[in-house]
Amino acid sequence: MSKIFKIITLSITMFLFVVITANAESGVTFNQLVENAKLYNGKTVTVKGEAIGESMKRGAHSWVNISDGTLPMGIWMDSNDAAQISVYGNYHNTGDLIEVTGTFNRACSEHGGDMDIHAQSVKIVKKGTPTPHPVNKRRIIVSIISTICIVILLRITYKSFKLQK
Amino acid sequence: MVENKNKFCNLKIISYYTGYVILWTAALMLLPIITSIAFKEWNTVLDFIISIDISAGIGMIFILFGKDTVGKVKVEWKHGLIIASLSWFLLMFLSAIPYKLSGHVGSYLDAIFDVMSGFTTTGLVLTQDLEHLALGMNMWRHIITFVGGQGMVVLALCFLVRDTAGAYKMYVGEGKDIELVPNVKGTARIIWKISMIYLVVGTLILWINGMFIGLKPVSAFFHGLFIFMSAWSTGGFAPMSQNMLYYHSFSYEIVTMIFFIVGSFNFGLHYAIWQGNRKEIYKNIETQSFFITATLASFFVALGLSKLNVYPNAMAIFRKGVYNLLSAHTTTGFANVYSRQFALEWGDFAIIIMTIAMLIGGSACSTAGGFKGLRVGLVFKGLIADIKKLLMSERKVSVFKFHYMKDNILEDGMVKSAALIIICYIILFSIGTAMGVYYGYPVSNAAFEAASATGNVGLSIGITSPSVPAALKIYYIIAMYLGRLEFMSVFALIGFIAGGIKKLCRRYSR
Repeated sequence: MSKIFKIITLSITMFLFVVITANAESGVTFNQLVENAKLYNGKTVTVKGEAIGESMKRGAHSWVNISDGTLPMGIWMDSNDAAQISVYGNYHNTGDLIEVTGTFNRACSEHGGDMDIHAQSVKIVKKGTPTPHPVNKRRIIVSIISTICIVILLRITYKSFKLQK
Repeated sequence: MVENKNKFCNLKIISYYTGYVILWTAALMLLPIITSIAFKEWNTVLDFIISIDISAGIGMIFILFGKDTVGKVKVEWKHGLIIASLSWFLLMFLSAIPYKLSGHVGSYLDAIFDVMSGFTTTGLVLTQDLEHLALGMNMWRHIITFVGGQGMVVLALCFLVRDTAGAYKMYVGEGKDIELVPNVKGTARIIWKISMIYLVVGTLILWINGMFIGLKPVSAFFHGLFIFMSAWSTGGFAPMSQNMLYYHSFSYEIVTMIFFIVGSFNFGLHYAIWQGNRKEIYKNIETQSFFITATLASFFVALGLSKLNVYPNAMAIFRKGVYNLLSAHTTTGFANVYSRQFALEWGDFAIIIMTIAMLIGGSACSTAGGFKGLRVGLVFKGLIADIKKLLMSERKVSVFKFHYMKDNILEDGMVKSAALIIICYIILFSIGTAMGVYYGYPVSNAAFEAASATGNVGLSIGITSPSVPAALKIYYIIAMYLGRLEFMSVFALIGFIAGGIKKLCRRYSR
């Protein structure tokens, strides 16, 4: 009985170890991918990040660059998946947060050696939102005062040159 | 008493022209203001209004202080050199104001680092989160690098009311020494004319290419404009933090490669071609030197990458290896790999070749940095000439020539001054490498980054980041500044300040 118990315990431990090891590739950051590119090359990884800039449609597929805060990376995905992304990160907006599962390529032979991910599935985790940029009142006052000063200085300079002539 | 009066006149004439350069550069801030108004980036508009007011105010105070000496005091060599270096130094602080106000830099030191990197067309970046940077601010980053490539003094000289006798001395102070037409104002205008025509053509090509690779029309236009400004001025800035990797496009890489190679050529060469003298391309010592060193370096980088099996095929080796090598050699700094990939994947051999290419750089009197092809060519020709002299009969007198816009006789003085500047660059690079090693970076990485800063390249192996020690940041700023102005102007400024301090000390010790 004790032997069976030990075997079951060992089996469960080993199973958990395999599951944990396999899941280590999910939730990986782009910085980790760059730093350990050879290790992850050709493996399926799951990454999460903000869609930035815009999608670049190249036929049936599109390039979407996403940033996870450590680095941005290019995702090669189906154009239909790219069409689901509605907001891209820029000055005015925080882009959609997307989760991508796909194959990581250290030096993609299809794309001239680019380090990229070829997406198998794309999921929108959180919709993008406009980024508020409240106008700083103190800056308005400073800019008005400084502009008045510069107009006065400009007049002094002009007069002084006129006098010199 | 007379000596003191002279010193004061020196100060005034320097102040007048420095103010003039500051004022014209400050006026450029109107462009990001217009961009930000168009895209409703109101905080950025305010940031630039404050910055333009401060810069223009300081410029006008300098002008007012020195205006009574204009036309009375002759601009001498020392004035020209000091005006150029002082303008660059002050503009570094003034142009950094919008960076700091944008909130995208960690400190004011990071802001002035990026400004110096832009003005010197280096391209090393400490500004964070470029993806969310205002378009107006991105416009400013690229204007800085575009204007820096042509030269702020060159820009100011275009607007001189009359041709000033000492203008040539200021122009030389900015690291340019070629006279395209007899007067300097005309030469400055030709430089800007060439650049503006290329700007229109280049932006148009990249705009169309941008739409072709999937960018939206408005976005493609701004990407095209910014990337052209960077490519032509061999700057290396890009609107996105992935730099060229953002576009994932071979055609975009090829177009930029053509523009940064063309941009790294001498303005004299451009002018000669425009005048119909196409043979100059083949005969010029600089284009010959560039062709030889670029071919050899590309071959060796490709060899190093193949040996380590870094890339899967020849196309990938060309797109990654040759593109980055040519970007390094022309001192552009565009990269289509992650910085850390150089350190982790490329291997020491390719890194050494890249480092050498960065140090050699582009052409003299161009937007490029580095030793310059002309100096490498002169030293090489001088070496060949010396060997030939040794092997020849002592009674035979030989004249050695080289072609640089016209046939020139190779003189010992030319070879000596070229070698001196190369030695200065090597000293600057060596100190930078030693500092990098001191702060714990591997030798090859420290050498790569130091060469990038000294040669005004902008490629990074991963050292340049906001967390880098402040002393290393300051050294890189100094290296970029000295490397771009080619030492003499900065030495003249240091000498002038040291002379002033010495006199003050003497006066108070009496």
